[in-house]
Amino acid sequence: MSKLGQVVEAVEKYNHFVIDQVKRARSDEKFGGELINRWNETKAKTPVTHTPTGLPLPRLALPEIDEPGEIARYLFGEGLPGEFPFLNGAYREMYLEPVREIETGSYGKKASANGAKQKAGGDSVRPPEEPTRLFSGLMLAEDTNERFHYLTQHQRTHRLSTAFDGPTLYGIDSDAYGVFGKIGEGGVAIDTVEDMVRLYDGFDLGSPNFSASMTISGPAPIIMAMYIAAAKRRFGPKVVPKLRGTIQADIFKEVQAQNETIFPIEASLRFLTDMVEFTTREMSRWYPISISGYHIGEAGSTPVQQAAYTLSNGFAYAEMFTSRGIPVDQFGPRLSFFLDCGLDVEYIALARVSRRIWAIGMRDAFGAGPRGQLFKLHTQTSGRSLIAAEFKNNLTRTAAELMLAYMNATNSCHSNSADEPFTTPGEEWIRLAAHGQAILLEESGIFKHTMNMLSGSPGMKAVERAVEAAILDEFREIERLGGVLAAVEDRFQRSQIQNAAHRYEQQIYDGTRPIIGLNKYRNGEDDAPEIKLARTPRKKQQLQVDRLAKFKKKNAEKAKRALDKLVDVVERGENCFPALLEAVEVASLGQITLRLQGVVGKFRPMV
Amino acid sequence: MASPIRILTAVPICDGHDSAINTINLEFIRHGIEVIYLGYHRSVGDIVRAAIQEDVRAIGISSYNGGHVEFFAEVVDLLRKRGASGIKVFGGGGGTISHEDAAAMRGKGVDQIFFAGTSLSKMTDYVRKHYGKQRMKRAPAKSPEIELAQKLTKIEENKESRKSKVEARKKEKGKKLRTSRRSRVIGFTGPGGAGKTTLIDELVLRFLNEDSKRRIAILSHDPSVIGEGALLGDRATMINSQNDRVFMRSMATRGQAGGLSPATHDCLALLAKSNFDYVIIETVGTGQEAMPFQKNGIVDLTVLVMNPDYGSRLQLQKIVMLDLAGIVVVNKSDLQRARTAHSEIEQRLEQNRRDQLLIDTVAKQHRDPGVDRLFDLICGSEQPQRGKARNKS
Repeated sequence: MSKLGQVVEAVEKYNHFVIDQVKRARSDEKFGGELINRWNETKAKTPVTHTPTGLPLPRLALPEIDEPGEIARYLFGEGLPGEFPFLNGAYREMYLEPVREIETGSYGKKASANGAKQKAGGDSVRPPEEPTRLFSGLMLAEDTNERFHYLTQHQRTHRLSTAFDGPTLYGIDSDAYGVFGKIGEGGVAIDTVEDMVRLYDGFDLGSPNFSASMTISGPAPIIMAMYIAAAKRRFGPKVVPKLRGTIQADIFKEVQAQNETIFPIEASLRFLTDMVEFTTREMSRWYPISISGYHIGEAGSTPVQQAAYTLSNGFAYAEMFTSRGIPVDQFGPRLSFFLDCGLDVEYIALARVSRRIWAIGMRDAFGAGPRGQLFKLHTQTSGRSLIAAEFKNNLTRTAAELMLAYMNATNSCHSNSADEPFTTPGEEWIRLAAHGQAILLEESGIFKHTMNMLSGSPGMKAVERAVEAAILDEFREIERLGGVLAAVEDRFQRSQIQNAAHRYEQQIYDGTRPIIGLNKYRNGEDDAPEIKLARTPRKKQQLQVDRLAKFKKKNAEKAKRALDKLVDVVERGENCFPALLEAVEVASLGQITLRLQGVVGKFRPMV
Repeated sequence: MASPIRILTAVPICDGHDSAINTINLEFIRHGIEVIYLGYHRSVGDIVRAAIQEDVRAIGISSYNGGHVEFFAEVVDLLRKRGASGIKVFGGGGGTISHEDAAAMRGKGVDQIFFAGTSLSKMTDYVRKHYGKQRMKRAPAKSPEIELAQKLTKIEENKESRKSKVEARKKEKGKKLRTSRRSRVIGFTGPGGAGKTTLIDELVLRFLNEDSKRRIAILSHDPSVIGEGALLGDRATMINSQNDRVFMRSMATRGQAGGLSPATHDCLALLAKSNFDYVIIETVGTGQEAMPFQKNGIVDLTVLVMNPDYGSRLQLQKIVMLDLAGIVVVNKSDLQRARTAHSEIEQRLEQNRRDQLLIDTVAKQHRDPGVDRLFDLICGSEQPQRGKARNKS
């Protein structure tokens, strides 16, 4: 049995445990009495807050129950916010406006994969409203750097989120055949450590108020090494343990959905583990992997598939890191998650259930301590749900999705811009998207007064039960196929996602899935926004190519030696990350990719 | 009856968005179109080469990562440069392609851009209407590669008109062909999912690396679905075979059972005398009774690729190709059952009392020693072997 099988057993066992506790609370008077005392105490200790109209409300809402069995069902089955199994939230308080008390939770400002806006429990002690974090990357490193400075000019904390261009995502140099025209499109072009220095120029990388997020997976270890090397060039070697941020590095979801993989799966996983082993040991504030369901959802999976594949991928990584000998309490707290939130009803509880399964699995199948049990989640509203036809309706879609995301107590959230079916978003629509979050969290009273305001309705509970059962079924199927890696190689997740995508399209075309403005209540007129495209001028693209040529020429001799050494380490099966750190000083991304592919091969796409 | 429309679909370089194209491919084949799918992250050169070799009517490109105006135009340009401007280009990219972009692209020679919200049936209708007409008499081919591709098309289309079917086969089955050809022909067959495609692609890599002048032809087969369409997807996974020294042609079985197409024999004969060092033919995934390559046929060496999971050992008795193959490969030999499979198949082959060879491979693994050995065996013997492999391990 793989670890995933053990996770299924652990969840089943835990559910039995909850039922046993319910029975015991009813039959064992002493135990029942203790529970009632604890329940009443919790309620009594809950501070009272006042709404702007003067209405008093508890800061934590709990169900109106006084029977010990039901109290046991709540406390063990769901847990108070911030308590195992974390159904109601990873932290005790989230989204609430500040009052007198100080949070005790260790929740930090986690850098998120695609985060536009960071909202989290623990915010309450910080100065009010800060930072929109925009996912950005355009043209060359200096252009993106300028954008970063513009975006953060009024912010106390600088949290940057970096998008890379296509060639970088595929580990290709800007001077490679056929990529001219793609340089700096949709993200920043990074070829060398010198580009990386330019990219974050002027920012204090070792500061506790700085964090960098890099959305890249296929060549993640090489880019990570470049980031570290760039930081060392600017601040010396002592900066390394201080570096904060995250890199996506999720190979499984690339193979299952997003298709940005450059080495064969097993080799990719090995390089990833090398990186995780290094960063969790040397850079204790870095999140070296963001386990992402977003792209699985966007590729067309059902919500249940998204959660099931993401969680099982997470458990597979945990199993891999464990078998490398990395202690679970070293890497466990450095894992974070990234989910899609669409309009299907499953999303009312998808992240809640995921949090519960992760906590039980990590505690009972992996023996993780409390910090390693937390499912720290970044959510992004669904890009796929946005429609070009009558696109202003997308504002409403995103608003509804945001509601669902906050009802799931996501730790941070990115709201999409309404014009995204057409282009990288324009400023007006970005602002509206960010303000959507502020309206829900700050203007409306839905989330800011009381934790659990919308948790635990009978409908939500019904969805939770159905979703959990369906996720466990998916786990069992993956286990039957021999575990996550075997299922991936068998194309199981891929074909399931593709089937679901096809069914979704069919439903749109036959009208069983109403899309307003597209197949229902259609106005007939498309009101496309005015699009201002930011193209990378040919001159700039040429500049990047020329700079790269200069770098290669300057370092030719040294690069050869460093790459030979890297290859040697890879062949010997040792952790290659230190050699990678040396190689990036003198070799380009494409040079390193090609040499590594010479040893481990290229990724063979799955259809 | 007219032949099915053949088109090629692909996603541009540095773009992994294949969700839309997967859905569209399925819709096309459901409506009788044969789709050669090249996959995502594909360069202009790969796309044009494939389109020429496959002699498709049109190329459909699905682009979501920007740079589409340039990319589509480069495809049109390169087709023109290579003398293949008869191959049309169409595509889409949801909302990422604006109306102005589309106008610019049409100005550069792109036939049609589908915008977000276009129904699948509209696209299918478009393809059938514009690329489904019988071809006019074709102009003389502008390169040997185009000429070969067009000849293959002709063979395939003639097979569709029944009258010539029997005669053509009689005519070309004669000895003349075998004496005039130069290439060594290697046939690969075996059940679906055994890893034939990956294995062939790994061998191609070795063929190309060993000798920088060597040229290879590949004739690959995929089944037609009910109706007439087919998804011919081998190119998408055969990354090493997308090379100027490799001529690859994907064929649909078009209703014929047994793993090959009605036109296979003649196409293979043509390729075999077309100045390739090796011609590789891959059948579709076959059943136990299949016997795709005849004794004393045009295939010099037959390789049967097996998956360790064939069921009970009794099943082995029923697999006809185990009697005929020169080399039997147990691929995926990293699977748990592989050792059992090896010894059971070994025993089965001993019954035949012929010098058949049994090799274990893990084709998905880069530089797999088993594949190296298979490669040496295939290259090592200069003499064509009929039915028998005379190499000793």
